[in-house]
Amino acid sequence: MKKFKLWIWTSLGVILAVILIVVSLQWSRNNVSDLMKWHNSKMSPVIMIPGSSATENRFDQLVKKINKNNKNPHSLIKVKVTNDDKLHFTGQIRQRDNEPIIVIGFENNRDGYSNIKQQARRFNIAFEAITNQYRFNNFKAIGHSNGGLIYTRFLEKYYANYSSRIKIKRLMTIGSPYNFNEKSVRHRTQMLSDFIDSRKELPSNLDVYVVAGTETYNSDGLVPLGSVMAGKYIYQGQVKHYTTISVSGSDAQNSDLPQNDQIIDLIKRYILDQQETPKNPGRQNGTDLNNRQH
Amino acid sequence: MRIIQNTLKMMFPIVLLGSFAEVIKITFLTSSGYIATLFKVTEWLPFHSDLAWIMGVIYHCTIDMIALYGAFGAAHFTAKEYGKKTSIAGALGLVAFLIISYQPTGVGMPDFNHQLMSEGLLIALIVGYFCGRITVFLVDAKKEELFQMIKPASIVIVLASILNMLLGLIGKLEIPTYVAGFVMQHSQTNALFYVLGMGILTNLLSWMAIGGPFLNGPSFSDAPSLANMNAALKSGSAWNVPFKFTDTTLYHSFANFGGTGVILALIIAILIFSKRTDKRLVSKWSIFPAIFNNNYPMMLGLPILFNPIYLILFLIAPLVNMLLAALLLWLRWIPAAAYPVPLGTPGPLIAFIGTNGNWLTLIFGVFLIFVDVLIYIPFVKLADEITEEVGQSNEEI
Repeated sequence: MKKFKLWIWTSLGVILAVILIVVSLQWSRNNVSDLMKWHNSKMSPVIMIPGSSATENRFDQLVKKINKNNKNPHSLIKVKVTNDDKLHFTGQIRQRDNEPIIVIGFENNRDGYSNIKQQARRFNIAFEAITNQYRFNNFKAIGHSNGGLIYTRFLEKYYANYSSRIKIKRLMTIGSPYNFNEKSVRHRTQMLSDFIDSRKELPSNLDVYVVAGTETYNSDGLVPLGSVMAGKYIYQGQVKHYTTISVSGSDAQNSDLPQNDQIIDLIKRYILDQQETPKNPGRQNGTDLNNRQH
Repeated sequence: MRIIQNTLKMMFPIVLLGSFAEVIKITFLTSSGYIATLFKVTEWLPFHSDLAWIMGVIYHCTIDMIALYGAFGAAHFTAKEYGKKTSIAGALGLVAFLIISYQPTGVGMPDFNHQLMSEGLLIALIVGYFCGRITVFLVDAKKEELFQMIKPASIVIVLASILNMLLGLIGKLEIPTYVAGFVMQHSQTNALFYVLGMGILTNLLSWMAIGGPFLNGPSFSDAPSLANMNAALKSGSAWNVPFKFTDTTLYHSFANFGGTGVILALIIAILIFSKRTDKRLVSKWSIFPAIFNNNYPMMLGLPILFNPIYLILFLIAPLVNMLLAALLLWLRWIPAAAYPVPLGTPGPLIAFIGTNGNWLTLIFGVFLIFVDVLIYIPFVKLADEITEEVGQSNEEI
C-alpha cells in the first residue's frame, strides 16, 4: 500500500514537472520572439502632447508643415484619452514609415497641477498601449505648453517602468511654464518643487531642448520667460544635454508656437532623425535659410 | 542553543503558513509571477485581487516580520530556561525589538525598519536573549511579579531607544548594485571568483539569519544582465553574451534550487534517507514553497539556522553547483541565462527559461540536484544520529 502511494506521488510529480517544462518552454519561446521584435524594431516615433485647452488635433498644421516637400511624409496617429481612461485612435501608420508622429490628447485638457498629474497618468496609459501596439524601442518627445509639464511628470514618475526597453532620445518642450505664471523662481510653485525633488528620476542619457517664445522681452504673451527658463532647475545637470532656445518674431506667441516656422525648423533639426535619403539633399539647408529671415 | 531551537520551533507553523501565502501571492496571483504568467491566472480567476490581498496580508504579517516573532521567542525561552515562569519577558522582547526598528515618519502611524523586520532575525534573537537575561536577573520569582517588572522594562526600553538612535546613524548599504558594478568593471576570471565569494557569503549569512547580497531573486535589471539580454536579442541566441559569470547566470540559475543552499536537494535527501518522522514531515510540508524557491519552512523547521551540521554543506552544495556551471559555461556546452524569467520560477527551470529552452541546461540542472542529493546524504544520516543521541530531552516547547 505504501509503495503504491509512493508511486502515485512520484508519477504525479513527474507529470506536473513535464507540464511545467512544456508550458515554460512555450512561454519562453514566445516571450523571447516578442522581445526580439521589440529590440530589433526600427520604428522610432515622435510622440507629441498638446497644451491645455488643446485637443489631439493641435499639431495637424505642424505635421503638415513638416511633411511639406518631404518624399517620405510622417504618418500621423492621434490618440484621445477620454475621462473614463479609454483610448480612441485615429489615423494609421503608412507602411515602411519608421518615424510616425503620434499625438496624444486628453478629454480633460484643463490647466492646473492636479489636472496635469491626471493627464500624466492618462498619458502613461496611452503610452503603454502604443508601445504594445507599435513595438518601438526608442522615441522622441515634444510637449507644447502644459504638454511639456505632462512629459516632465511622466518621465519622473512613470518612465522608469519602461526605461529598460524603451529609450527616450530627445525631448523638446515648447513654451512650457515650469513655474506656471510665476515670473521669478523665488516663488516656487508646488509643481516646480515636486519636479525638482524627483529630478534624479529623469533619464541621464536624454537630450533636452527647452524652447521659449518671446513676444516681449520677458513673455510670450501668456507664459513668463522666467517660468519657461525654470526648466533648467529640473533638467540641467541631470540629463545629458540641456539647451534653451528662445524664438522671437512673428508667431512667437504661446499659442502660435507650434506653427512657428523657426520652431518647425528646430524640430526638423533636433528632434527628427536625420533621414539619409540622398534624393533631396538640399532640403534641410533650403528650409534653414528661408526660416532665418524672420 | 536550546533557546534558539525552541524559538525556531515556535515560529515554524507561523512561517510555514507565511511561506505558503508568499508563494501563492507572488507566483500565482501577481501578474509577473511564474504561474500567473504561464497560465494567465490573473485574467480568468475571479476575485484574484482580493485573494492576493489576503495572501499579502498573511505574508507581510508573518515572514515579512519574522524577526519580531524571533525577539518574542528568544526572550520568552531565555527566561524559561533560567527557571522563571514569567511570561512578561516575551512581551519585553517584543517591545525592545519594536523600539529598535522604529522609524519616525512625518505623520500618522508608526513605521518600522523593513530590513530589520524581515532580515534581522539574528539581531532579534540576540535582543530577545538579552531581554530574557535582564528579566531573569532582576525578577525574583518568589515575590509579587507585577511591580518588579517595572525595573527591567525601563532598562530595556531605554537601551533599545539608544540602539534605535545609533542605527539611524548607519546608512543602508547597497550591496547588490555594488556587485553589479564589480562584474561590469573586472575581467571574467575576477568576476567569477567574486560571484562565487558573494554566493558563499550569501549562504553563510542566511544560515545566520541575516540577508546576504544575493537574497533577492534574479531581477534582470542590473547592468550586466541587461547587457547580456541586449546582446542575446541582437544575435538571436544566448551563446555570445558579454558577461558570462554573473549572479544571474551562476548563482540564481544553478545554486538556488529551492531557495538558498539548494534546499530542494536537501528535501529529497531527507525524504529518501532520513528515518526521523518529524524531519520527514517538515520536509513534506516544505516541498510546495521550496519548488518556488522559498526555503523559510526548512530553515526553521529542521532547523538549519545556526545548526553546525548543515553549515558546511549549506556552503558546499551551492559552491559545487556554481563551479560546475561555470565550467560548462566556459567550455561553451551551455549558453548563459540571458532572457528574463518570471518571478518565482522553480529553480531548475530558471536557467532553462533564461536560455530560451536549452535542453542541455535543463538536464544539467537535474544532474546538479542529483549531485547535491549525494552531497547531502552523509549529513542527513549524521544529523539523524546526533538527534538520536541527544535524545528526546529538548522535545517539549
